[in-house]
Amino acid sequence: MDRTRPGSRPRRLPSVCLLAAALLGGAASAQEGGKKSPGTYAGFPPLIPHDVRAMTGGECLGCHGNGVGGAPIAPHPSRTHLCLQCHVPQDPAAKPFPPGGRN
Amino acid sequence: MDLDRRGFLKIGATTAVVTAAGPAAAAWAQEGVGWAKAPCRFCGVGCGVLVGARKGRVVAVQGDPESPVNRGMLCIKGYSLPRILYGSDRFEAPLLRQGDRFIKVSWERALDTMAATFKEAIRSHGPESVGAYFSGQSTVFEGYAINKLMKGGIGSNNIEGNPRLCMASAVAGFYSTFGMDEPMGCYDDIELADAFFVWGSNVAEMHPILYARMVERKHQDPGVTIASLQTFGNRSSDDPADVAVIFRPHTDLALANGMAHVIVQEGLVNLDFVNRHTVFKRGVEHPHSGTQDTDEYGDAAPSWATYRPFADRGQPMTFDEYKAFLEAYTPERVEQLSGVPAETVRRLARLMGDPERKVLSLWTVGFNQHARGTWINNLVYNLHLLTGKIAEPGNGPLSLTGQPSACGTTRETGALSHLLPGGHFVANPEHRQRAAEIWKVPVERISPKPGYHTVELFRALDRGDLRVLWINTTNPFQTLPNAGRYRKGARKGGDRFVVVSEVYPSETSRQADLILPSAMWVEKEGMFGNSERRTQHWAKMVDPPGRARDDLWQIVELAKRLGHGALFDYGKEPLQKALFEEYRQFGAGRGQDLAPYQVYTRVRGGLRWPVVDGRETRWRYREGFDPYVQEGEDVRFYGNPDGRAAIWARPYEPPAEAPDADYPFWLTTGRVLEHWHTGTVTRRVRELHRAMPAAQVWLNPDDAKRLGVKSGDPVRVASRRGEVRARVEVGGRNAMPKGVVFVPFFDEAVLINLVTLDAFCPISKQPDFKKCAVQVARL
Repeated sequence: MDRTRPGSRPRRLPSVCLLAAALLGGAASAQEGGKKSPGTYAGFPPLIPHDVRAMTGGECLGCHGNGVGGAPIAPHPSRTHLCLQCHVPQDPAAKPFPPGGRN
Repeated sequence: MDLDRRGFLKIGATTAVVTAAGPAAAAWAQEGVGWAKAPCRFCGVGCGVLVGARKGRVVAVQGDPESPVNRGMLCIKGYSLPRILYGSDRFEAPLLRQGDRFIKVSWERALDTMAATFKEAIRSHGPESVGAYFSGQSTVFEGYAINKLMKGGIGSNNIEGNPRLCMASAVAGFYSTFGMDEPMGCYDDIELADAFFVWGSNVAEMHPILYARMVERKHQDPGVTIASLQTFGNRSSDDPADVAVIFRPHTDLALANGMAHVIVQEGLVNLDFVNRHTVFKRGVEHPHSGTQDTDEYGDAAPSWATYRPFADRGQPMTFDEYKAFLEAYTPERVEQLSGVPAETVRRLARLMGDPERKVLSLWTVGFNQHARGTWINNLVYNLHLLTGKIAEPGNGPLSLTGQPSACGTTRETGALSHLLPGGHFVANPEHRQRAAEIWKVPVERISPKPGYHTVELFRALDRGDLRVLWINTTNPFQTLPNAGRYRKGARKGGDRFVVVSEVYPSETSRQADLILPSAMWVEKEGMFGNSERRTQHWAKMVDPPGRARDDLWQIVELAKRLGHGALFDYGKEPLQKALFEEYRQFGAGRGQDLAPYQVYTRVRGGLRWPVVDGRETRWRYREGFDPYVQEGEDVRFYGNPDGRAAIWARPYEPPAEAPDADYPFWLTTGRVLEHWHTGTVTRRVRELHRAMPAAQVWLNPDDAKRLGVKSGDPVRVASRRGEVRARVEVGGRNAMPKGVVFVPFFDEAVLINLVTLDAFCPISKQPDFKKCAVQVARL
């Protein structure tokens, strides 16, 4: 390893998770792990109901690999480091956009 | 081509059957959802999606498992596609400015008004007083049609596209090195490479599916190495990258030359390849960086008459002279300039030069948005040419594009101010002759003088030299560097008239005199061309809302009113098919061969040009893969008359603006995973908006401590040109080095381009959004 990375961010735990080819998980699991958002549909990747600001995509399976603390188990553990490409958290305090709109 | 319910079935019968896959398929079938193929609306990767529609409304998508690009995968933007059409404030009627507000008008009145302003400007001030600014998100049909109308009808070369802001330096790099645009390799290289160089590109967020393929390759073979070279730490330099290098902004020029130095010093040059397939060149040094209004006018007062854009002049040199040029770039000097340890420079060079490893380089706008953008493109080609690692499976430089059809539309149809379709140039008399013949217009109609490039186009509007501008499918008053100047310029009044075709209100539509409501994505028929020369077609699936109309129709209606309707009169032939069949004459036999229109309507995932005898091309310039290379030639860079690629001696030169005592921070800007460009579309999708509701100012933790701020605190970021206010983030997905701040440009409440500098590469004319000097202050 040769890292000249700046900043003080600690190295992360290596772990695994997967880009949701969500249909592999299928409709049944599509809303696991998060409340159903009105715009989603069968096959839409589950939203993340907790803060992941300090995480990278390599850490998620620490809990979601084996269901630690009741975390939903990822149905597609073949790929790693890519969870946050499909699964995103939601900021409940976000003001609608456009202002006054319905988002 | 228009799809109704029968159409869905018909497509199913003529191609691989388009149906949904997976456990949800049965439920969808029961609900009467019909499916058709389309490329994703967003980035340049060009993922294939299956689009599910029911009762005239798009209700679902899935990654097309048969698409060779994404193989069923999508990112969160792709999954959000159904929602982008249904924001609450879509434009549904033409809107004409009346003072400070807009009134709804009929299409008839809107188009008549638009045509009248075009005619009046052309009559009074000549054809160069009007312009069109289109997009890498325009379809191939639209790009070709507006180019034909402007250059072959109106006789103005003032047609630009926003790819000037995202990949013009890639184009100039390709032409100067290879004599022909676009990559020689393709995404198949990802699974065949042993080492990846990611150059100044956060591919994990901006090209998620390509990154997913890289990571998958790495997991299959732990011996694969990912070297991530960045100006700040980000998801692309996190695990599983093996080598994460942070260099000071703009010093990539020194770093690439330093690697070439080591490759030469340590005998890693593939001499046989270099001797047979390359020449050495050096160009003009110390050119301008475009910050002065007179830079492109020979120091004369800027006007159309004095407009003489800088052009490079390459001079031949010997290999020995090139080696002497490299002597200045010892790893130790590179360390001084870039901050990258000399030993790391050597390690990178050895990784690149290792004859046992296949190497793929990837980059996007970190290189292209650069005051020496053409040079840094040349320099990465140098590394692949010196080592002979190019134009073969697994080995190559792969320039990525940001937009879905920067390649297919803007580059290939030639919708830039100096180009004609299919790799032809306005300045070349034979090329104008050929265009005139295909377009059936008098050759004198096509001006030999390149039109204003994008920055000059908006400077001309500010000065008043340009009177009428049609902006289509893009948001320049949020995206132009030093945008404050150009926003004011557009509203200076006089006989300026700005027409904006859009789908939602934007910073640009707010500056318009006339807003035309457009159809988007599967509300119209289209074709896109992605980063790997792949052309994809989709059919219209649903109607646009209200009175919104597609942009091709808008172009034709304007043409009719300007007396150029004949350019688009193909009798009974469907317009899109006729345009495409005409367009592909330009590239046929010149290495840019496209298949017949009908083929693209049927092929899932599209085809990579040149398509010769029905077969696509994965690796250009290589015997056995490229039909243009004859038996026994091995490699021929046939874009250049001598069949050789150029290795350019391009020096490190300092940036146009650097931090100083008053403005001590570097500012760099860019995108985020969740939003597409200025967020005009993606911010109207609830899940995307709530995932990334506002642009933040990413700061180094020590800098933050010194400024007395922590994550969530408001700060002011100011340059000599403008300022924004936003909240600090010291952690999260990015890790900033000391003295560097990152602010994404998607948020119209944080118009960071009020702050950026309008410097540009003198060869490509692409602005540098990645570096200027700012101060950051606690509020």
